[in-house]
Amino acid sequence: MSSAGRKTVLGALLRDPMGAFGLALVVLFVAMALFAPWIAPADPIKLNVTQKFQPPSLDHLAGTDQLGRDLLSRIIFGARTALSIAVTSVGMAGLAGLILGMIAGFGPRWLDAILVLVFDSLSSLPMIMFALAVITVVGPGTGTLILVVVLVSVPAYARLIRAQTLALAGADFIVAERAMGASGTRILLRHMLPNVVGPLVILLSMDIPVVIMLEAGLSYLNLGVRPPTPSWGNILYDGYTSLRSAPYMVLVAGLPLVLSTLGFTFLGEGLRDALDPRLKGRGHR
Amino acid sequence: MTDPVLSVENLSLRYRVPGGSLQVLRDVSLSVQPGEVLGIAGESGCGKSTLAAAMIDLTGANAERTAGTIRLSGRDILSLGQADRRRMRGRDVAMVFQDPMTAFSPVLTMGSQLVDFQCNLDGVSRREKSDRARAMLARVGLSDPDLAMTRFPHELSGGMRQRAAIAAALLMRPAVLIADEPTTALDVTMEAQIIHLLRELQADYGCAIVIVTHHLGVIAELCDRVAVMYAGQVVEEAPVDALYHDPRHPYTRALLACDPARIEEHTGRLPAIGGRLPDLTAPPPGCAFAPRCPLASDRCRTLPPPRVTIGPGRAALCHEVAP
Amino acid sequence: MTPLLSIAGICVDLQSGGWLSPGGGARVNILSDISLDLAGGETLGLVGESGSGKTTLARAVLGLQPTSAGTIRFKGADLCGPADFHAIRRSTALMFQDAAASLSPRMTVGQAVIEPFAIHHESVADRRAKAAELLAEVGLPPEMAARFPHELSGGQARRVGVARALALKPALVIADEPTAGLDVSVQAEILNLMADLKDRHGLSYLIITHNLALVRHVADRIAVLYLGRLVETGPTRQIFAAPRHPYTRSLIAAEPKPDPRRRRRDLAIKGEIPSILRRPQGCEFHTRCPVAKDICRSAAPALQALGPGHSVRCHFPETHDKGG
Repeated sequence: MSSAGRKTVLGALLRDPMGAFGLALVVLFVAMALFAPWIAPADPIKLNVTQKFQPPSLDHLAGTDQLGRDLLSRIIFGARTALSIAVTSVGMAGLAGLILGMIAGFGPRWLDAILVLVFDSLSSLPMIMFALAVITVVGPGTGTLILVVVLVSVPAYARLIRAQTLALAGADFIVAERAMGASGTRILLRHMLPNVVGPLVILLSMDIPVVIMLEAGLSYLNLGVRPPTPSWGNILYDGYTSLRSAPYMVLVAGLPLVLSTLGFTFLGEGLRDALDPRLKGRGHR
Repeated sequence: MTDPVLSVENLSLRYRVPGGSLQVLRDVSLSVQPGEVLGIAGESGCGKSTLAAAMIDLTGANAERTAGTIRLSGRDILSLGQADRRRMRGRDVAMVFQDPMTAFSPVLTMGSQLVDFQCNLDGVSRREKSDRARAMLARVGLSDPDLAMTRFPHELSGGMRQRAAIAAALLMRPAVLIADEPTTALDVTMEAQIIHLLRELQADYGCAIVIVTHHLGVIAELCDRVAVMYAGQVVEEAPVDALYHDPRHPYTRALLACDPARIEEHTGRLPAIGGRLPDLTAPPPGCAFAPRCPLASDRCRTLPPPRVTIGPGRAALCHEVAP
Repeated sequence: MTPLLSIAGICVDLQSGGWLSPGGGARVNILSDISLDLAGGETLGLVGESGSGKTTLARAVLGLQPTSAGTIRFKGADLCGPADFHAIRRSTALMFQDAAASLSPRMTVGQAVIEPFAIHHESVADRRAKAAELLAEVGLPPEMAARFPHELSGGQARRVGVARALALKPALVIADEPTAGLDVSVQAEILNLMADLKDRHGLSYLIITHNLALVRHVADRIAVLYLGRLVETGPTRQIFAAPRHPYTRSLIAAEPKPDPRRRRRDLAIKGEIPSILRRPQGCEFHTRCPVAKDICRSAAPALQALGPGHSVRCHFPETHDKGG
């Protein structure tokens, strides 16, 4: 029988072909983002107008764009933009959701009522419309994008954590802790936290591609990341405007978008199976 | 003796589990005579619930029969097609579970479910089926059957649900009723009432009843004959009086000895059976009880125990027991 | 001698439903006027069917369930605020019906058994050795410390629960159905272990159970609860030899006897325990009582003393003296 350690979650993830594939893709994109300056063959923002619209060749493996910039390098740096925005915003939202959800689930009832009201009003905002509204007010940019994502996704995470916390509050082992005289903080941090983060991690992993898509979408509309910073969204836009002269550009920018979305989604689904207590050796009771 | 209504012959069954197979039933033979109440006793992990499930052909997807036959009214049920097996369940043999909540769908009223259970009954109108259901609910002691018919399962108390489950099982007048721990989830006063009810119903309908339980008191109250199981085998089979007053197999003796309800003297200390159940992924070559048995000799540890016939309807699976 | 634990006139009321539900806000009386004493080194069995309020009473003693009236005294000191309950939780231990579920699922057994020290900020020199020592006390090998709760058998989980209960050398152990769901052979092992530990450490036990065969062997005194009322309390031998409340008599008679020669011919008790939301008028038990008379339907009987330490809440306790 296996123990419930981190090792077995990874093991279970690798045993699942889809999960392993997702993990491999995610690792690939993360490595691309982290080591972009070292692996990119050229400077992603250096102009070279004489070299514009070069189709893929040995010099430029993915060709060049309308300003002669190396597309492969722009894609690699684009991974950095996409992932940093997605991971930062989802991470911040996840942390905020975790804290607020645990407070709502474990704290006094009146505080819970207020927080639930806030979550409900926030989550009634449609993401894209809300994003457009905020951009109109604050102006486009990376910070705006992160703010929008955090505000829109916190309620979902907080509600998940709140439900988990509420369900656990009546569990025997939590009552046992109280009966032993454990403080609220100790119960929350030592016993609630490890038991509620699992589902949140899955949800976060599934939400990263949503944010990547949102970033690309807004950048495509010139409302996200400001040029010349490379983003898959603005590469896609450039490719679309020069579809006739350089049809490869759309493909080159679309592929990482599709692959990263697939990667994170598969990883999330793999994690869900790997963390499912019913699939772990819980004994026959 | 008449032909048995249900007989299990040399049944072996295993569960596929990660890293091997669990031999839950090993060469089990048991028969149920028409109208008798047979108790299957044993502790958790002995295979009693698997045996009950096998009798109604409801073992899980990871179960695999390696040998043996199960005959219901003389027909080998395992050779029947899917449709025939389904028809057999409910009509010839019915089951009552430990948790009656799981026996009913939570989204349908009791009435509609009790009517649906009679789907195998041809040429009977829905109205008649409803009347039969109502009569059966009254028979099992529900004080207001009309009201109960309109209720959802969760609106009934645990005792009421178990009565309704028994009513559902009896609607098709099965030849055999199998009850797996029918009183374990109930309070002691309700347990007494369910035992009483089963005894009355058996007298009225004359169906054979198989009771699977770890509770020796329930078996003593209700059964005519008892089979004691240990580690996937029937280790002793006897008429109920003989089993409780002259147990032969060392395991039966130990099991009876540590039941606090049988000990009159207030001592503060109770006899226990030392040791653990054997690992059923690799059952020992000799007697499965030998490591915990006070009488065990070398022979017990190496050779499988013989089935010794002690008297009419009495047998024990033991090297040390005298015929 | 002051009793170790003394509860007097405990009442627990709960709000029925949410404040928005129709008719919500009605107060439901779960426990009413419960008074019990428990001496040091004594085992008290709290007996009743599900819904009788026995688990609620245990939780109220530890301050886990707010009470609406009554006092709880532990070692002679009144328990009022959270600080007092922190103290009683330091010197009592609660054992749960589902022992495995009472262990934090992501903590190893070793971490779980020494957790009480961390909770009460008591330093342990060698955690590993302490865990091994506690496990040895309940007959488990030290390797067990690395296991997780879901990897334990029912008996093992129960032993780990006992080990954790013993960590801070409590004066009182409250055990909620200590052997529920265990096989008889394992049940005997756990009961013997609890008896040994009682002798060794001078523990008091409050054992909550519906299993009469069990309390008869372990309890010095018994308190019988019905719908949140104490209906009979007295020394175990006396109650089993001559139960005075018809409910106690029915409970004892309802227990199936593991002897086919002593089969019951008729039912000792009919019907079910009424819902606490529809508490019967007068004596709570009159709806099921075989000897109920008119007065039982209108007037609630008071708890009356019958002898030293034996009291019963019944209008006609003496009428059942014969035939017992």
